[in-house]
Order: sequence, then C-alpha cells, then structure tokens
Amino acid sequence: MSISRRDFLVRSAGFVTVSAMVPRWAVEGAKNFEESVGSAYPGRTLVVLELMGGNDGLNTVIPYTDNAYPQVRARIGIPVSSVLQLDSKLGLNPQMTGIKSLWDAGRVALLEGVGYPNSSLSHFTGRDIWHTADPTLAQRNGWLGRWLDSSIGNNANPLVCAAVSNALPRTLLADKVSVPSFVSIASYSYSTDGAYPGDKSNQINTFVAEAADKYEIENTVEQISALSGVGISSSSTLQMVGTGYFSGGQYPAGSLGSGLQLIAEIINAGVGAQILYITYGGFDNHAGEDKDHDPLVKTVSDGIKALFDDLDAHGKSHNVLFMSWSEFGRRVQDNASLGTDHGTSAPHFVVGNAVKPGIYGTAPSLTQLDSNGNLLIQNDFRSYYGTILSDWLGADSAGILGQGWPNLGFLNKSYV
Amino acid sequence: MSAINWTRDAAAHLLRRAGFGGTPSEIDALYAKGSVETAVSSLVDYTSIDISAYEASLAANNYNLLQTRGVQQWFLDRMAFSPRPLEEKMTYFWNLHWTSGISKVQGVTLIFNQNKTERQYAMGKFDDLVVKISQDPAMLVWLDNWLSRASRPNENYARELMELFTLGVNSGYTQTDVTQLARALTGWTLQNYVKADNYNGATFLDNPAFHDNGSKTILGQTGNWSGYDAINIILNWSDSLGSKSGRFLGAKLWTYFAYPDPPDYIVNQLGAVYDSTGRSIRELVRAIFLSPEFYEPHTLKTWVRSPAEYAVAQVRMLEATADFSAATNSLTAMGQTLFNPSDAKGWGWGTSWMNTGTVFSRASLANSLATNRGTSGTRFDPNKLLAGKDASTADKVVDILADRLNIADVAPDVRAAWVSYMNANDDGSRGNWTNTTANVEKKVRGLVHLMLTSPAFHLG
Repeated sequence: MSISRRDFLVRSAGFVTVSAMVPRWAVEGAKNFEESVGSAYPGRTLVVLELMGGNDGLNTVIPYTDNAYPQVRARIGIPVSSVLQLDSKLGLNPQMTGIKSLWDAGRVALLEGVGYPNSSLSHFTGRDIWHTADPTLAQRNGWLGRWLDSSIGNNANPLVCAAVSNALPRTLLADKVSVPSFVSIASYSYSTDGAYPGDKSNQINTFVAEAADKYEIENTVEQISALSGVGISSSSTLQMVGTGYFSGGQYPAGSLGSGLQLIAEIINAGVGAQILYITYGGFDNHAGEDKDHDPLVKTVSDGIKALFDDLDAHGKSHNVLFMSWSEFGRRVQDNASLGTDHGTSAPHFVVGNAVKPGIYGTAPSLTQLDSNGNLLIQNDFRSYYGTILSDWLGADSAGILGQGWPNLGFLNKSYV
Repeated sequence: MSAINWTRDAAAHLLRRAGFGGTPSEIDALYAKGSVETAVSSLVDYTSIDISAYEASLAANNYNLLQTRGVQQWFLDRMAFSPRPLEEKMTYFWNLHWTSGISKVQGVTLIFNQNKTERQYAMGKFDDLVVKISQDPAMLVWLDNWLSRASRPNENYARELMELFTLGVNSGYTQTDVTQLARALTGWTLQNYVKADNYNGATFLDNPAFHDNGSKTILGQTGNWSGYDAINIILNWSDSLGSKSGRFLGAKLWTYFAYPDPPDYIVNQLGAVYDSTGRSIRELVRAIFLSPEFYEPHTLKTWVRSPAEYAVAQVRMLEATADFSAATNSLTAMGQTLFNPSDAKGWGWGTSWMNTGTVFSRASLANSLATNRGTSGTRFDPNKLLAGKDASTADKVVDILADRLNIADVAPDVRAAWVSYMNANDDGSRGNWTNTTANVEKKVRGLVHLMLTSPAFHLG
C-alpha cells in the first residue's frame, strides 16, 4: 500500500484543489518531499504511547519470586504462578501474551524502574516533567518538539509528526513546527456547505486566508491561525493514506486499537511520518484495580502486537521503534479500596527490530523503599529519552536534554 | 473605578466574559445601565432576576435527564438562554474546576445533581461549596473517597482537594499532608446506592465506623480532625500575604474571566477581597469585573472559547433556535465531552483546546448550524440578521455580520478575504454580491460559517 513519490504527486494534484494557497510543503514540498527532511534517519518512525493516569508497574511486570509481593499485593496482586516468565525474577501479567510473543522473538527491551527524582506524586506535574524532560519545568516545549525544531525545522512534510488524539500532547509542542492531530481520516477535513458544492473552493480559500489575522498584543490569534494551513495540507495527505487499507494485525476494539491501526496505515503509506504519538487512559487505579487493570494491559499488549504484525505484513517494521511512558508507577502497598495510590518508578517497553533485547535494570526491591513507601528509581527517564534520541533518531541528545545522560544501551547502534 | 471607561465595546466584552456573548440588543441594554458598577451589579447580583418563565420553557423542552446526552443539552440550553448568564458562567466554571466524569461515576442523576449543587452554591462562601463538593455523591465516587477506610486510606480525593481544588501544587503542602488529610476524610462515604442502577440514589453518609479517630497533623496543625476541620485548616492556611486558598481561587477566576498568569499584585488584591469578605465568591467575581485591568486592551480577545462556549456563543450571537442535539457529539470531537473529563484536572484551557483536528471539528459544528435549512435542530435565519439593514454590498453584509459576532476588529486582510468571498463566483472569478434570496441562502450562510471558523471567533 505504500505510495510512491510519483503517485503521491499525481494523486495530490488531483485532490488538492486548494493547493494554490496552501502554505509550505503542500505547494513546494512536493519537490522537497525527501530533501526537506533534516533528521539523521528520515526513513525511521518512532511510535510513542502515553499511558495516562500512572500505570501500576508491579501488576504489569511482576517480581514473581519476591516473597514480599504476595504480601504487599495480597488483595489485588497477580497470582505469581500465572505470570509469563521473562527471567528468573520477572514475569509479565498473564494478559500480556502479545508482548510476550514479541519478547520471545527478541524484539523487546524492558526498562525497569524508570522515573525522575523528588516526585511530588502529582499526575499533572509528573506529566509536564515527562513531556518536557525537565523536572524544573522551565522548558515550554516538549522533548520531541525540541527535536522537531532542531532536526525538521519549518520546511516540513505536514505529516512528519502527528498525534492520533483530539489534543496535542505537550511532548510535541515546538516552535517551528505545527504538529497535526486527528483521530480518524474521515473526520479530518474542513466541512463546507453541501448544498452548494460549487462554492467549496471559495470557502476553503477564504478559510485559509483567515490565517492572516493578527492581534496587536497577544499572540493567541496567531497560534490559532497557524493551524488552518497545516490542517488543510495535512488533511490532503491524510485523505490519501487510508484508501483501501488492508490490515495485517488483529487490533483490539476501542480507541487504542483504532488509533494504532491508523498509525500503521500512515507508516505503511510511506508519507514520511517520523514521529507518531498516541495516548491511552484509565490507569489511575486508586480503587477497583483488581477488575480494571488487567483489561488495560491486555489492550495495550494486544495493540502493540497487532501494530507489529501489521507492519510485518507490509514489510515496514524494520524502520519502526515503539516506546511507552506513563507519568508514574504506583504505591507498593495497596490501599483498602482494592487499589493503589500514586508512586514513582515503573517499567516501560521499547519494541522493534533495533532493540538489544533484554531487561535493563533489576527486579525492583519491595522492601527498600523511599520515605513515602514508593519504589526507588533505577533508570532516570532522561537516560531513556537520551538513548532514543541518540541511537534511533541520530540526534544530539545532550543538546535536546540540556545535558548528557548515561546511554542505557538498549538499542543496536549499528542498526541500519 | 473611575479608570474604567464605560463604552458599548466594554459592555460587549463584559457580556462575552461574564456570559456567553451578547446580541446587539443585549449589549445595548447593558451599556444603557450607564456605569460599570450598575452594569456589573446587574450581572453579579443575579438572584433578583426572575427566571421562572425560562425554567418553565426549559422544562417544556423535555430533555431526557436520565441520559448524559440530555443533561448535556439541558446545561447547554441554560448557558444559551438563561436570563442569568453569569449564573451559568459560574456554574460552568465549577464544572471545569472539579467536574466528575460520568464514565466512572456512572449515575447520570448523580452528575446532574452535582451540576445543580454547583449552581446553588456558585457564588456563596467558598467554605460551603468545598464542603458540599467533598460530600457530593458523584465526587465521592469519582475520586474514590467513598471507599476510603481508616485502615489504609485512599489518597485520591485528599491530594486533588489540595492540588487542584483549593491550594495548588506549589503551595507547600507535602506528601505527609496528603496522607494525613486522607485520614481525616475517611468516613465521608455513600449510602442508599444501588450498584445495579449505576449508583443512582446514592446520598452522603458520615460513617464513624470508617473514620480514623487518631491524631492527624495537617499543614502543621495537630488534632483528631474531622473532614470539616480539615477543610477549615486548608482554607485558613495562610502566610504573610493572607490565605493561600484566596490567592489560588483568585488567580483561577482571573484566568477564567480575564487572562492567564495574572501578575502577583492582582492575585494579592483578589486574595485580600476573599479574606475580608468571609471567602465570598460573589465579591471576588465582582472585584474582577470592577478591575480596570479587566477592560484594558491586553485582556480583550484572549480567552480561547472552550468547545461548549464555542457552541453556545454562536447560538446566542446569531439568535439561533437550538436544541443542541448536534452539539453533544460535536463537543466530543472538539475535545470536550461535557461531564466526562479524562481526569481530575478536567480539560486544559486556552490554546490547548486548539489543534488542527479540533479546528476541523469546530468547522463541522459551525457548518451544521450555518447550513441547517430545515425546521428542526439548531438553526438560524440569515434574513433576520439583515432585516432593516442596508445589505446592498458585500462590504456592508460583512460589516453587519462581523459586528454581530463581535469580530469587526480582525486584520484588514481577513475582512478583505470575506468581502472577496461574498463577491466570488464558483470558478473563483470576481462577481458582484446582490441582495437576493438565492444569494442570502448561499453566501450569507457561507459567510457565517467562515466567520465562525475564523481564528477571531475562537476567542471571546
């Protein structure tokens, strides 16, 4: 299903009746389709999954040989005999057969104990810190937004980076690049009056021209104005991506499955997407975790498996790396409402052919805890990001993160 | 107060911020109050406005209040048509501040009742509202306090009560304060709930059997505190500048009505009003609308309309007929399912509402209003907007509609683009607008759609 560059030109010429006033790439970018890309590995795609609410790492990757586990999780713990063993200490939640099969195929790096120091245990501060990679919160833009600014600049394919979301995640907030967001192909276009189809071009032209609006004091109008041009051009590209798609994966029902399939469609169409971001919520399991958490990790695991099956079926998985994050893990000791309160570190998954498979870090200690009863940090999240930036995106990770962080070594540097 | 120059534009601004936008006649009427104090009082002291006729007409609309969609329509209807715009604007503030999500609460009646509680206590003492919300069945389910027990308390509500609702994350409380507050709040739970009926029927119960009767130290004060004591300690917590809760609430209300990140001197002034009036929300709001800064140029057109406000403003300002049947789904596509935020913080404000996807979702809603030529659903009459006015040229039509939508201050290039649109033939060549029935149906509706999707109209 990939679209050749020539096909792309021909088809967009037919589709984009508004190309005359679409800014940037959709006008001149056809000839710059590849040249405009300034990143080290423009053929690669990074897929980022944000698990919103703070995923409980201890019910995701279980330290199944630790005698303390059945005690601290007496009411909501995973039966240790049921885990999908990864090594002699750690095993996956039994719902996660999808990730397990990817693990067995040598395509998974598991990072244990990822977090940041001195957590306030706030969801929202934690999210901002992870989005910006800055615990002092001095940075406005996201860590991948800063990568976009330094590596992509303002001469970009409108789909070089996109969020499959009805919000724009702060991770992708940048100065020079407006990142499109959408949840489906069908809904992603500017509606016009169906009774007067002949007036459609005039309406779209005028809509784009409205982007000329300025306001003397605040820049809010300009921020909104910038969206219409990017919207129209990214819509033109996206409309072509989805025609006649054949899915090679069994995606789970719901928003994560449909979103991951849309990500696969975009990658498989070969339109130059380098960052694709998706969110999935429901992990703030203060109560009722015994019932609520298993379906969440199953959906995530099944979704990742389907994504890679789909990419494999289209011969595209070689150039794709998947990573997950969540604002924190959860408290070691469960509470009286069959749930867990806010914690600190948690395990995260990196999936792709470029990983050096294995476990980075050790099984977390359930007895050596911080003063709030939370897990200690093994891997700073900036080392996690830095390794991705250097070894997958080929970027200057210290420049983007403000300082160098130890490379965790979970990616094959010589991967091509 | 003499620093405020009371103009018709100031009245329009006040109606956009203290309400959901005014029609020309509403702006005229507010301006005719003669002074900013009288005008503000007419909005702030709203309990004297008789709304019984409106309540009767609302009831006659028969929204299905046993379903989320019906409650959404009911609330949007109030925002658009209640004769007390600030009552709904404040209820909406509390809805944004701490609404609970139907996806977890499940009981539509509980969510509906929470909205009524927010309206009832919207402008009273903050203490009363905080207690009512802390004991609100929807909130007790939403942030789990109903399941908290003395043995191992659930921290969810305790944390957000301080972080999101009263003090702010950087106010200086610690994780220990969170766990101690959670202990004080044990016992505030539910009774009469029917799980099979989505918790509908649940009412508040202060159950001593679940309460931790030990000594707790909250924000430096030690005692066998109850939930009431704890809320008092939180709201009283002060430094040399006064109460922290006053500055927190003052800053958030200023952000809502004026602009984000207010300077310290404004926050301190508002905190002082709160402290000196027995924590009166009404006086805090009045002080905001009587601040000279509220009318300064940098305050104008900076508030990004949330999806609900966007849907309501176009109905109000176009004097449309509305049942909001299309809006409820559209709001979700625009990033806001009313009564169902994704987490305790609710939605982000400001430009975080806006991205390429939501620009298109907003355009879809605007298009459905602008092009509804039928006899049901949300619709407006373009002829009514032009009646009695000189609409003989494209420029004149553009000015009539831009004035009505309060966006006559757009950049000259944007106004020129609208005029060109009105004159454009289908092939893009220049024609000439004439005021015919056919042209009104096509181009005036088209222009309204374009104006509603312009960057300027996303701001209020």
